[in-house]
Amino acid sequence: MEFIVSFLGIAVITAPAILLTSIALPSLFGIRLQEQSINRLTSSSVLIGFISAILMLIIMLATGSRNVPIDLGDWIVLPATELNESPFHFHLKVVFDRLSVPFVILTFLLCGTIGLFASKYLHREIGYLRFFVAFAIFNLGMIVASVSGTIEMLFFGWELVGLSSAILIAYFHERKSPVTSGFRVWCIYRFADAAFLIAAIAMHHMTGHGEFSALIGQGNWPEGVAQLSSWQAFWIGSLLLFAAAGKSALVPFCGWLPRAMEGPTPSSAIFYGALSVHLGAFLLLRVGPIIDCSLLLAISVILIGAVSAIYGTIVGRVQSDVKTALSFASLTQVGIIVAVIGFAGIAGGMGWSTLAIGLRYFALIHILGHAMLRTLQLLRAPTLLRDYHALDNALGAHIPNEDSRFKKLVGDRMYRFALERGYLDTVIDRWVVQPFVIVASTCNRLEQGWLNLLSGRRRDTQKPVIDSKRKDG
Amino acid sequence: MKFSKVDGAGLRALQFDPEQIKSMIEHVAHFLPAQGPITAFVHHNTLHAFQSDRFKEALKKGQAVFGAEPFWPESRFRKELEGGRILNSDIEYALQEVLGETADENIDGFGKRIQIRNAILHHAIYTASQSELEWFIAESNALKAFRQDAPTAIVDRMVSDTQHWLMRDLLNQSDSTSSDHNCLADASRLKEFVDRAKRGKPHQWQPVAWKKFTLTFLWEVCRHGVSLVPLRQSQYEKRRRLRDLLLCETDLDIDEWVNSLLIKFSSAFLDQGFAHWSLPARDRGFWKCFLDVYTNSLGPAETWRRGLDAELQQLKSNQTTSIEVIAQFLNRSGVTEDEAEEWMMRQLLVLRGFAGMVHQVETRGDRVFQSIPPGTLIDFLAVRLLLSDHAERYVLKEILGWNVDPVDARKRLEALHPTPPQLTDDQRAFLVFQLAQVLGWNPQVLVKLSVDEWSALLGELESFDEFERRHVFQLAFEHHYANQTLHALSVHNAGKRIGESEKTSKTRPKFQIVCCIDDREESFRRHLEEVEPRCETFGMAGFFAVVMYFKGVAEAHFLPLCPVIIKPQHFVREEAVYSLQKQENLNRKRREQLGRFSRGFHLGSRTLTGGWLGTTLLGALATIPLVARVLAPRATAKLRERFSGLIRPPAATELQLERVADPPGSENGHVGFSVNEMANCVQRTLEDIGLTKDFSRLVVIVGHGSSSLNNPHESAYNCGACAGARGGPNARAFAQMANDMRVRDLLRERGIAIPTDTCFVGSYHNTCDDGFSLFDLDRVPSSHRDLLEETISIIEVARARNAHERCRRFQSADLTMTADSALRHVEGRSQDLSQARPEYNHATNALCFVGRREWSRGLFLDRRAFLTSYDPRIDDENNKILTRILQAAVPVCAGISLEYYFSTVDNEGYGCGNKLPHNITSMLGVMTGAESDLRPGLSAQMVEIHEPMRLMFVIESTPKALTSIIESNPGIKEFVAGDWVQLVCFEPEKNLLHRYADGKFKLLNTDSESLPIARYSADWYRGWRDHLAFAQVTAGYETIPTSSNT
Repeated sequence: MEFIVSFLGIAVITAPAILLTSIALPSLFGIRLQEQSINRLTSSSVLIGFISAILMLIIMLATGSRNVPIDLGDWIVLPATELNESPFHFHLKVVFDRLSVPFVILTFLLCGTIGLFASKYLHREIGYLRFFVAFAIFNLGMIVASVSGTIEMLFFGWELVGLSSAILIAYFHERKSPVTSGFRVWCIYRFADAAFLIAAIAMHHMTGHGEFSALIGQGNWPEGVAQLSSWQAFWIGSLLLFAAAGKSALVPFCGWLPRAMEGPTPSSAIFYGALSVHLGAFLLLRVGPIIDCSLLLAISVILIGAVSAIYGTIVGRVQSDVKTALSFASLTQVGIIVAVIGFAGIAGGMGWSTLAIGLRYFALIHILGHAMLRTLQLLRAPTLLRDYHALDNALGAHIPNEDSRFKKLVGDRMYRFALERGYLDTVIDRWVVQPFVIVASTCNRLEQGWLNLLSGRRRDTQKPVIDSKRKDG
Repeated sequence: MKFSKVDGAGLRALQFDPEQIKSMIEHVAHFLPAQGPITAFVHHNTLHAFQSDRFKEALKKGQAVFGAEPFWPESRFRKELEGGRILNSDIEYALQEVLGETADENIDGFGKRIQIRNAILHHAIYTASQSELEWFIAESNALKAFRQDAPTAIVDRMVSDTQHWLMRDLLNQSDSTSSDHNCLADASRLKEFVDRAKRGKPHQWQPVAWKKFTLTFLWEVCRHGVSLVPLRQSQYEKRRRLRDLLLCETDLDIDEWVNSLLIKFSSAFLDQGFAHWSLPARDRGFWKCFLDVYTNSLGPAETWRRGLDAELQQLKSNQTTSIEVIAQFLNRSGVTEDEAEEWMMRQLLVLRGFAGMVHQVETRGDRVFQSIPPGTLIDFLAVRLLLSDHAERYVLKEILGWNVDPVDARKRLEALHPTPPQLTDDQRAFLVFQLAQVLGWNPQVLVKLSVDEWSALLGELESFDEFERRHVFQLAFEHHYANQTLHALSVHNAGKRIGESEKTSKTRPKFQIVCCIDDREESFRRHLEEVEPRCETFGMAGFFAVVMYFKGVAEAHFLPLCPVIIKPQHFVREEAVYSLQKQENLNRKRREQLGRFSRGFHLGSRTLTGGWLGTTLLGALATIPLVARVLAPRATAKLRERFSGLIRPPAATELQLERVADPPGSENGHVGFSVNEMANCVQRTLEDIGLTKDFSRLVVIVGHGSSSLNNPHESAYNCGACAGARGGPNARAFAQMANDMRVRDLLRERGIAIPTDTCFVGSYHNTCDDGFSLFDLDRVPSSHRDLLEETISIIEVARARNAHERCRRFQSADLTMTADSALRHVEGRSQDLSQARPEYNHATNALCFVGRREWSRGLFLDRRAFLTSYDPRIDDENNKILTRILQAAVPVCAGISLEYYFSTVDNEGYGCGNKLPHNITSMLGVMTGAESDLRPGLSAQMVEIHEPMRLMFVIESTPKALTSIIESNPGIKEFVAGDWVQLVCFEPEKNLLHRYADGKFKLLNTDSESLPIARYSADWYRGWRDHLAFAQVTAGYETIPTSSNT
């Protein structure tokens, strides 16, 4: 039995890895894969992964086992020296539990469906292969992140998802705005990932390795208990919350989510309606016991979630194009999910473990339902006119949207706030990007000056140096 | 306020008054895209702004104003040249056509003009940017090896001639005053080059070195020659905006900033009810609303907008109107009265999609739910000017640190960034360099040219620029196809005696079928004729002269079902038959409940609490439709159909067609037509198609439309004659009218005797899934049941074959599939969410035949022809019928053809680009991606197989009759005389073809080579994806025709 379980577990993770290599490598050797072979490779590997995951679920249900770790061993070990008192392990470990299995199944189901969808939708596109390579990277990243048992592995999957996300936003690279949007998303991801990396290092410092089980206790998800002091939990948790906010486009990073709609419809649907946007919430669920340890952290989680949800719903209400409106609708739900996870943390901290567990399950169910529904809505976005026409016909008249009580309550002033998307991009541009650029360009100028001095050249004062970052206004 | 300073200084005395500005904007609006809301897509000439010009001139202007391509790229034409779709003879013909008498002029020593141009067209002439060119010359083999396509003979001769010249005339001639030395004397660079060669011991050189020398020398000579002759200035010099200059100077694009704001605001303003919250005080108009919203900030705006709120506040409290703002900017900008219009146009064209939509919605408020006040375009321009000005001043002051006003800044920037020449000297030299290699112009000949000779040569080459070359290719491409068409017609009719059958007694056709003139019905009609050679088919614009607003039994609104230029007076309603009304009322309630629920769910899923509940409780259920519709679209659709029984509209309905009270209107009693009006409709249609006698027992009228999923452009696939709606109701109404005995009595008085045993049946053809449904079959008398059954079974076969023929064009459809599997394939396509090409619509349209079917029947036209029935024998001496047919057919068909033309030649510039990132905005149009201008036109997926050529009308008439029609109808003349369409007059009795050119008809000679012959269409098209030539399909005849050469 154990052999079967580990075989299935390894199949789940190798199927997407093989897919990626099999469609990405040939083109490096100048072999151009046909549309049909790309489709076959994608659907067969996703199907294998999907069946393995389902079998795994069945076995787990049948045996009542709630946590199936599969150890892939240490890949790097640095012995303890005087400088770092504990040894460093790069440990690969896959965990199947009640959090990862639903996520894996969701990922395979959606990747399979969207893969099929895209195979027709992108028919005759020049970038067909490029799309499917990025799609395979994404699939691998999602699976690795879902089943990871160590923080390094989660980070690895997390990065793959970010990379494919940026590539697919910039898919139509012959136009300018997809590329700038992709770049912007990439920058925000890197920024948030830095926090993740620091958290990972901090975890290593505290526990000696990156296994979640050591950090959040041996209990099965969602019942773990973390062995951290309140402040340790707060610092690590805050960093992870920051990372999650970047990935899930929570406040203050919301600005990138509508921009991400530059890509082809299927990738927008699966990334920003379903999987990628929920990855931040997944991380918070995974490290739930940490949130239990610190009330302050739990409150921060609730705040960020709730503010994002309210922000999303207000801003979403004025959007007049379908994809942007759906992206803010997505954000609203992700905000709620995150807030619920925060409440679960408070409940856990108070010792009401049943409530905490219930809330976590609730959040998980919300993620699954939301992912499916939003994907369908985004895929059907181009049918909007037909749908509205059908609604008019069913209702017998065109019914305009009435101004809701909510609107009357918040007043017209909020309209501008919403139209300007809450000024969040401006805030980031002005208070983060611009200072950063100023520091960097000052350094650049100093270095240039120093170099000029050394090389005896005169300074070139002809043209003012305009930093590319300031182009965003 | 900032402007008053400038005004107060009295810098410019020029004043523009509001009325003048208004009329200028009115005029400028003609340059904006004329596409209305996407829900009623009407094809029209994309370059309508220049329609009064001739086609070629309009293309040039379009290129200058919109920056869009006028033709396919040369490379594509050259591919067609290789593939045999353009022949050398076509190019010669086109050149002769363009050059006229100047074709045979000699260009000093280089040959006749037509020969030079011909040679140029046969060789790819490359151009590159200056830096790329420098790299190419320096790093590639350009100066070491001749072009691949240079003929060996020419290469050998050129190298040996050059060798002789250097060795004999320069190296070994003592007389340094000879012409060969003289010609180098003025060119120090050349002289130096030759001197260096002379010192390099040329007598020891290997052949490779001589080749290299020849080429390098040629390059230097070309550069020298070009430097002697200044470049001619282009006709259309574009005045740069301050934004363009600032972009050169700072790399900052002001347009991006302004667009981003204006797109958000305009789409909110135009929104037809998608957003939950509508714009506050939207009814106050664009300008006031803008001032209201943007003086109300709750947070930090982008850096460039600092101070904008205060400025707007000032305008608001001064109650400045938008037109005053425009006047101020006009006065300040320093443009003269002549330039003012162009200046405003350039401003509006930056966001032409939105500007055009604003103009469409303000002028055609009847076509939208939320109309906007007239004058909104003025407000739009004012806001645009205000924002650009603010951004410009920001860049000048904050980025550049210049404390000058925009006019001075402009002068300074123009001095810093002079307009780059259209072609650099190197680019011009490279042109000569390439041609010299393929045409064998020796460098030592070129070097001796005088300045005048160089001027003549360069003038000749540069006047045959890329535009001209592509124009000739275009003409050649069109000519090739036109030639094939006319040849096919001539051969096809050579053996036949058109009209002969009249004298002999004609057997009564089994049934007659009247389709739309649509090119997609060509194949359907052909297959019908092949399945049942004893049937007759007709083509008539798909509204069948029934001009009405129509409301279906399960529909909420009256839809206009007639060409877009007509505003209907009559209203027609569909209702459940009396016995089903109770059931329908119940179903209607259920539909309403379901609609209420799905509307609530749809809106709620985007809100906070509604979304929370909805996604948690029902979200997982979305898995089923999501997976099922992607995996098995056709089966899912069938399943949905089966389960919709409780809410389905009633199975039996009837039309409220007859009006009992005057005047016509949408209220009870006023709905419908009077008997006399019905008779008019029927008479008009029957006369148009020439069906005034010899009626068969069954006449089927076929309206058409198309249904597809995930396709914002769905309406563009519908019937053009019904203003982008589905034409089934028109066919149904027509049949009901024609079956009315009172109508028939009236018609008999007017000379059209419909036999009592003739029954009309209306029907609907879905061109996407080739579905076919017939209306009111309960009313068909039992005596006709057998015939009806038989006809339906024939139609069943024909529609499957039609689907099969369509599938040959779909790359994802197997070429070996059978007719039945093809039918399943197209059914799947129309139900597939992931299908970006549900059908190819009018793609490949190229012809429009007006005349009797007899002369085109049995000719494989490959779904490329609009087929309009017309019988000149029943027309009066003033050609009343032909005139009214052409009044509708020419603008409509030309509109379709030209929209396809422009969207194909420049899909980004004229079309709406790739369909995949499209994003429906304000329920009026599509943007590309998250934020862009509105994109009018056709998508890349729609036109990918289209071949851009101007539609060729072949009209059965006489040159005299056509000339008089053209002369007396400016609407037709504009298209015909302006070369927007091609026109051929056909006299089938004498088998004579006359081609229209420059106001005259010219008799054409056609050769009599035979055409390929096939029994059925499928025998000809099977297994082939690309373009197919004409063929004779014999199954469509009662008797097999004898072709001239067989």
